[in-house]
Amino acid sequence: TTFLVGSTTLFFCFTCPWLSEYFSSVIPIYTAVIFLFTLANFCMATFMDPGVFPRAEEDEDKEDDFRAPLYKTVEIKGIQVRMKWCSTCRFYRPPRCSHCSVCDNCVEDFDHHCPWVNNCIGRRNYRYFFLFLLSLTTHIINVFGFGLVYVLHHRQQLDTPHAAVTMAVMCVAGLFFVPVAGLTGFHMVLVARGRTTNEQVTGKFRGGVNPFTNGCMRNISHVLCSSQAPRYMGRWRSPQAVDVQPPFVRPPLTEAQLEAKVLDNGIQNDRHSTRSKSSLDQMESQSADAEPPPPPKPELRYPGLPRADTEESSLLTEAPHTPSMYKYRPAFNSPGRNHTALTHPNKMIRGESLDSPSPSILLSSHQPSYRSEPSSLDGTTAVGGGVGARRGGGERGEGPGGPGGTAGMMSGGMSGYSLTGRSYTSYPSSLVLSTGGSHSSSLRSAHLAHNPLATLQSEGTTDTSYKSLANQTPRNGSLSYDSLLTPSESPEFESVVSPSSPLQGYTSPFLSAQIAQQREGQLLQGSATFSSPHRAYLRAVSPPSPSSGPPEIQHLLQHNQDSSYRAPRNLSSLSSSPGALEPLTATCIYPLCVVPPPPPPFPDGCPIRSTSRPVLANHTTSKPGGGVKKVTGVGGTTYEISV
Amino acid sequence: PATFHNLQELRHSASLANKVFIQRDYSEGTTCRFQTKFPSELESRIERTLFEDTVKTLNNYYAEAEKIGGQSYLEGCLACSTAYLIFLCMETRYEKVLKKIAKYIQEQNEKIYAPRGLLITDPIERGMRVIEISIYEDRGSSDSSSGSSSVSGSTAR
Repeated sequence: TTFLVGSTTLFFCFTCPWLSEYFSSVIPIYTAVIFLFTLANFCMATFMDPGVFPRAEEDEDKEDDFRAPLYKTVEIKGIQVRMKWCSTCRFYRPPRCSHCSVCDNCVEDFDHHCPWVNNCIGRRNYRYFFLFLLSLTTHIINVFGFGLVYVLHHRQQLDTPHAAVTMAVMCVAGLFFVPVAGLTGFHMVLVARGRTTNEQVTGKFRGGVNPFTNGCMRNISHVLCSSQAPRYMGRWRSPQAVDVQPPFVRPPLTEAQLEAKVLDNGIQNDRHSTRSKSSLDQMESQSADAEPPPPPKPELRYPGLPRADTEESSLLTEAPHTPSMYKYRPAFNSPGRNHTALTHPNKMIRGESLDSPSPSILLSSHQPSYRSEPSSLDGTTAVGGGVGARRGGGERGEGPGGPGGTAGMMSGGMSGYSLTGRSYTSYPSSLVLSTGGSHSSSLRSAHLAHNPLATLQSEGTTDTSYKSLANQTPRNGSLSYDSLLTPSESPEFESVVSPSSPLQGYTSPFLSAQIAQQREGQLLQGSATFSSPHRAYLRAVSPPSPSSGPPEIQHLLQHNQDSSYRAPRNLSSLSSSPGALEPLTATCIYPLCVVPPPPPPFPDGCPIRSTSRPVLANHTTSKPGGGVKKVTGVGGTTYEISV
Repeated sequence: PATFHNLQELRHSASLANKVFIQRDYSEGTTCRFQTKFPSELESRIERTLFEDTVKTLNNYYAEAEKIGGQSYLEGCLACSTAYLIFLCMETRYEKVLKKIAKYIQEQNEKIYAPRGLLITDPIERGMRVIEISIYEDRGSSDSSSGSSSVSGSTAR
């Protein structure tokens, strides 16, 4: 700039006066005009906004930001042009737009960043830039030419200051002429072709067709004669004068839209109908889902009832000791439903009538077993249930800190009760019942010493447990009874088998007492929580069978110890010592007779057949191993649980 | 039942729910044109014909602004001859058309779009890249000025 201005000034001072005198005054005027024109264009090119795009507001790029492809193609006159996403400005750059790193802006019709002008050349100031170039070239030519004339004229007087200055100016001019002219020529070609420097330099349209050209003449006229493009930045925005207030006018729906609406409704209706038609389990879970989640109550009964998942999770969270449950949870939807059912039956057990959940309860009882022992699932459900029950029992036993060594069964039973308090009623019962479930489960469970005991017990009573559960479901609180009954039975039987005899011995009385207590509790309070019957049961533990219990149980335990499997066997062992068994049986099965009506047939799970065999000995008669295991209640109902 | 309501409560308000962006139509080069495709979000809010009319009118306006013809050429020459000092006094053709466009958009908003809970933002505020249509939802009784004030806040930079 200084060169330009300086040398021009010198030119004017030294050369022009003579020129004007010699030739005419027009020359300096003309030169001056050109010079001014050059300056003006230079200023416009320097200070004018080249067409900077304002940054896109956040709303605009909401969709684009995260999943935005880097390029978006758009077709211009049949040619595919890529629009690149500008991360700084947060929009897809319009065609011919480029981001200038020096200015840190996206510029429309970006040409280049000119260092001489120290500004980007874009759509708005390209014309001035171009004219500046043209005028500068012209100016240089002028200066050089006139200087030459002067020098030529004053060849003899070259030593004069005027001449020297002129010559110097000429040199400068000559020096600048080369690049400037080159650039001017370059841009003239660009204008004629309708390209920007950026496109030319990056070789975008080297081989192909330029979609932005409109023909030579049109391009030139576009550059020179088009109206000044508006600037985008720094615009004064008028405040929004329009007030948007409801109610809003809506356009009338077209036929197609109405149709769609009808379909929508239909779909929704179908959904609801299918809901109602779904199986009980589904009903359980879905009804749970449909219900608005009850507010988290401090009440122990309903810890987060709403959804099957949450119930599941809540149950699982309360059972941190069984990682396998977590593992298998996603694989089984039914467990989730069962959980829902579990909570429901819990509610019901509290005193409400419970018909529907019965199968769900049963399933729920299955569920934990599934969870904990997926392998055992292949076998009988009883086994699975047993496992789960066992685990639950074990955990529960540990959780509430049940009487230390109290056998797994007892703990199961107790834990069942404790769980009840936490709305785990059916679950714990199932847990308890299933405790005796499978060998593998028992073997696996290493939680407690009494676990094997529990396992064994559950094995024998798996079916029983399920059946009892099923039986219980229709009856208020019967679930707990049955669950208690089953484990109580099993511990008796299996206590023999369990290695830890002291524990076993310890367990059985507890269990029997537990059962009695439970039953008592339940009798007393139809809708009492499980915890209360649990406690009542515990209290009743001591009185009922202090003496008869332990020895009989011991005996049973010993018997069961030998048999590592099967309730039937245990039952048979039990039957082998009917005498010892009976009082125990009576104690244990006592709750059963309290149980109101016989259980309804299960839709799935273990079939239950009730016979009127009051004696526990009936159990022994049931065929060992697979098949149906009969559990007879004192009340005269015998439950046969198919293994 | 006759219950006394606070006037404030009775006044329903609209809240900004969504924004639709009408993109540029580059099929004819870099001349300013906007797509007339009817966006799906407006399906239930405004008639298709009304929307298309608006966009077409805007396109015409922009074409007129960018037209290279007598007036623009004269303007250029004049500017050159006055060393662009004329720009200090005169408004360019484009700017004149932009003013017309702003007025048109305002009128459209008042008459057609606001009653339907929509608001068109002048594309010049977005660098002529998109036409922004804000969709408002009836939010019942709440601070009524929230919706409109947010819009004005965003537009008045």
